[in-house]
Amino acid sequence: MWDSIYFFIMVPMVYIAFATLVIGIAFKFTIIFISPTIKGTIAVFPKGSVPKLCAVRDSFFMPSAFMKDKPFWVVIIAFHAAFLLLIIGHLELIREFAVIQVIPHEVFLGAGWVGIVLIVTTIYFLFRRFKTPWREISVPEDFIILLLLFLTFIFGSHMSLASRYGIAGFDIQVSEYREYLSSLFTTSPHVSRGILASPHYVIVALHVFFANLFMMMFPFSKMIHSVFMFAAQFIKRK
Amino acid sequence: MDIEKRKQLTALMKTRLNRPMRYYLDLCTRCGLCYDTCHVYQGIPKKEYSPVGRAEVVRRIYKKYFRPSGRLIPSWGDAKVIDDNSMNELLEAAFSCTGCRRCMVHCPFGIDTQHLMSMAKVLLIGNETAPEELVMLADSSVEKGKSIDEFKDGYREVIRDLEKEVAKHLGVTETDGLIPMEKKGADILFVGLAGAHSIVHPAVIFNKAKANWSLSFFEAVNFGAFLGDPEKMQFIANRVVNEAKALGVKEVVIVECGTAYRIPKFLIGPLPFKVSSIVEVIHRYIKEGKIKVKEKSIADSLTYHDPCHLLRGQGIREQPRELLWAVLRPENSGRVWEVHWPCHPGAAARRTPPLAGEEQA
Repeated sequence: MWDSIYFFIMVPMVYIAFATLVIGIAFKFTIIFISPTIKGTIAVFPKGSVPKLCAVRDSFFMPSAFMKDKPFWVVIIAFHAAFLLLIIGHLELIREFAVIQVIPHEVFLGAGWVGIVLIVTTIYFLFRRFKTPWREISVPEDFIILLLLFLTFIFGSHMSLASRYGIAGFDIQVSEYREYLSSLFTTSPHVSRGILASPHYVIVALHVFFANLFMMMFPFSKMIHSVFMFAAQFIKRK
Repeated sequence: MDIEKRKQLTALMKTRLNRPMRYYLDLCTRCGLCYDTCHVYQGIPKKEYSPVGRAEVVRRIYKKYFRPSGRLIPSWGDAKVIDDNSMNELLEAAFSCTGCRRCMVHCPFGIDTQHLMSMAKVLLIGNETAPEELVMLADSSVEKGKSIDEFKDGYREVIRDLEKEVAKHLGVTETDGLIPMEKKGADILFVGLAGAHSIVHPAVIFNKAKANWSLSFFEAVNFGAFLGDPEKMQFIANRVVNEAKALGVKEVVIVECGTAYRIPKFLIGPLPFKVSSIVEVIHRYIKEGKIKVKEKSIADSLTYHDPCHLLRGQGIREQPRELLWAVLRPENSGRVWEVHWPCHPGAAARRTPPLAGEEQA
């Protein structure tokens, strides 16, 4: 029975999650584009010399957060930078990308630091919500998403660190992940023999399970801010 | 609240879900960076008076009726049904926001709480629980727009009295035509407020500058905007727009009221004439040498407090400073000018429920 559950998580659920992510974002965009625009502008001044560029800068570097709370800004930037590296790292787990290897590195990139930064910053975000006034403005969604991210990161980080440094006899190598993930993309899905045979299969399955939940929740939760942020910043400058 | 009313309010809410509204309702992470940026919160430190607290009141109702998670698992995002309690929360939230948009500057996503509050106000109007005094003021503005001919003679009489004051300032004896009205082919249509001070002093300046101008029959203030009723706001704004079109003016000049200026300038779409603030016009007249001031004639130093609408809403920063520097020795109020606290008390007292207004003031 467990084999079937693991297989469901590792293959059909990944497709379901990915489809939910893509269709969900497309649905959100459709809703936005059929919604009426406003007649004038609700921008605030100063708009900046090149408003569109300023909107992009605001989205990536969040100067308003820097102005208001510098330590928090550092955590936000660290989290999002690490998340970007995380996505790049996962792309390299599908296949080799010469462009990413411009700076030669061992896959998974970051030597384990990407996961550690994400775990630490997620814990910070979570614990911050236990404190007034953030506790009062938080809703269950905020805690659940942070917990979900924490669980995804902790298992992923374990896989990365244990594999790289040979901790606890971890025996799943990058080539095994690459075989599995690339098979998903080439519509011949299978879980590689190395993962199936490993006693650490449960760790991989849990990581994939939480990542699947993340993808499914993404379009329908506040995580959509990463997509809509640019548009909102542009309205502020338009 | 009966089901029919709830359906009616939900349908009303749907009509106001424009693009910015959808962005703002969806992307807040409740990071709390805006929490203490609200001057109302600084006066009354309760969650309900923080920008995020206000926005959440609207967002929770939105989640309940427009998000699958809110329908299926309301506790996921604290989704709330529309009932008398939530309408009271909307009232508290919407009319304790003065629309200064200081929180928008601090929000990492640029969420405009004032825009979100427009949704709350629309729901309150739909529920017939919007503040009565604002409804009456907006209605009387609308009524004046519908039957302006009945008001014209009385208003002309008042203006004739004001012309005497203008003559005193100018040092002339002839008062006729110092405040022209209904002047076809005028370059400027000036829109003042109900107070004499908002008409007399601009009239002195227009006369000194030998401007070809005309005074509007209407006051600049837009109670439709304060009330949050888009239809009334548009109607009230259109009174001046139609007057300006009928006279064929090139420029409409608005008295130093931030909201009154912002509406024709930015909120009702393109117009066939230029819209300026009186501050910009005075600045222009000085630059063009049309009027002169006694330079550095006032020795007192002062701190200039930027009006939030003029500064954040319209970007008028340098002109008032240059005007002041011409006559005074001002101390500038700070480097980070776009996050100044609003100078709000008047507006706040008018726009908040009585108790909150008093505490705030």
